[in-house]
Amino acid sequence: MLVDSVPRPAGAFDALYRISAMARHNTIIRLRDPGQAISYVVMPMVLMLVLKPLYVRAVDGGATQVSTGLMVMFSVFAISLAGNAILSERTWRTWDRLRVSRAAAAELLVGKILPIFAIMVVQQVLLLTYGCLVIGLPVPSAPHYVLAAILIWAFALLALGALLAAIVRSHGELSVICDVGALTLSSLGGALVPLSLMPEWAQLVAPASPGYWALTLMQAAVRGDLAGMLPSAAILLAIGLAAGAFAARRLARGWGRGGLI
Amino acid sequence: MLVVTDLVKRYGTVQALDGFTLNVAAGEIVGLVGHNGAGKTTFVEIVSDLIRPDSGHVTIDGKPPSATRGQVGVAPQHIALYPSVTVREHLELFGRLAGLRPAALSAAIDDLAGILRLSEIMDRRTGKLSGGQQRRTQAATALVHRPALLLLDEPTAGADLETRQAMLDVVKQRAGEGAAVVYTTHYLPELTELQATIAVAQNGRVIARGTYEDLAKDLPGEVRVTLEDEEEISVSTTQPTATLIELLGRLDRPISSVDVRHPSLDDLYRSLAVHDAC
Repeated sequence: MLVDSVPRPAGAFDALYRISAMARHNTIIRLRDPGQAISYVVMPMVLMLVLKPLYVRAVDGGATQVSTGLMVMFSVFAISLAGNAILSERTWRTWDRLRVSRAAAAELLVGKILPIFAIMVVQQVLLLTYGCLVIGLPVPSAPHYVLAAILIWAFALLALGALLAAIVRSHGELSVICDVGALTLSSLGGALVPLSLMPEWAQLVAPASPGYWALTLMQAAVRGDLAGMLPSAAILLAIGLAAGAFAARRLARGWGRGGLI
Repeated sequence: MLVVTDLVKRYGTVQALDGFTLNVAAGEIVGLVGHNGAGKTTFVEIVSDLIRPDSGHVTIDGKPPSATRGQVGVAPQHIALYPSVTVREHLELFGRLAGLRPAALSAAIDDLAGILRLSEIMDRRTGKLSGGQQRRTQAATALVHRPALLLLDEPTAGADLETRQAMLDVVKQRAGEGAAVVYTTHYLPELTELQATIAVAQNGRVIARGTYEDLAKDLPGEVRVTLEDEEEISVSTTQPTATLIELLGRLDRPISSVDVRHPSLDDLYRSLAVHDAC
């Protein structure tokens, strides 16, 4: 019996079925190589503990600053997780095999990213809980705002990771961009050192960093300040949508085929 | 099933395809042979909808490749598998992406595990497998959804005898069920075993196509008769059997051995390639 006679689910349900197949497959891959994800949970926990006394002495609300700052800083490394996961498809030469299937590039990307999205959400929830229980971060009055902030930030970061994977030529190049970029974006955004303690020029350029908007979003969410969340959320969603659309378009043609756009 | 007309594809200064034309009917196996750079892989990539031609047309069952994704099974010439994922998990991924439901998927996996001799290694990660086992796994991922068109790009390159035989068995089985098969290879005797129609590609186009008998009818074979006194008589001829009979009738000395060599596919390919270059 050839494929044309096999009954198949149609439309949106069919797409969801394919996305779930990709997500399941990539969860297997992630679970077999968990080191990177574990380190991005343990490292910020240690740093929160070590840096808390400095922050508490330096600024008002030091516990909030150190918790949310390190949450943002170590979430930025998710760019590397997403980028490496996608770029590995090039190394293994498997992306073209997936493109031959019924799945659209966007479905493949979503299925690829979903497990990392879940890892990132778990990481942020663990760090938030740790911040509340151990560091002295005030328990958020509106936990659903915090969850929304985490989801929006995770979306923006993973889309940026996909974009990078679509344009770099090697894992080495991705590693350099992620390491330097993550530290620059997060520190410039005030995640490492409170913005009020940074030089004037840095405070001026800080809004150019997505890390700034993530930190603003997270701190507003912890305060339960919905109005304060909206501008940051809008900017991060716009960044995520633009980066995701670019990555999906570029990866739909495969690596190294055609121009940048 | 597959109709490819006058494909042209250029990469910078390299003319990968230059008027490539090839039709494959349902149930037919076409053995696509040619030197490296003849355009075989570019042809496979265009039919798979991985790249677009500069000009020319491709239809699969009357539709363009972009509308027939999932009806094509592709096994590229390089190994493209996930090293930390098992054979079974590979088949589950590609089967689900093709829309196979769990019961049908399970049956398809069992079927392929048997014919491609994968049963013993189903739960091993592909990064730990031998080259031949990886080849069979890769072929299985292309076959799991029973595609109507199979594109196998050198599926036995560097493979052991067991892998080669398993591959030939499964190709024959699928063609017998009605799949159209394009089988590129440098191992020409495989095409004889598959009873494939042969298409010879050179410089980005198909320069000859037909059955082995058609293509080889004007090629010389060789008749060699060794006499008991160790003298050897060798005759190059397009009709080896008739020539042998005639030779035996004329000889009045004791014969030690007789050897008749019909033209091989290698002779055929060399002959066509030389003619095309002239």
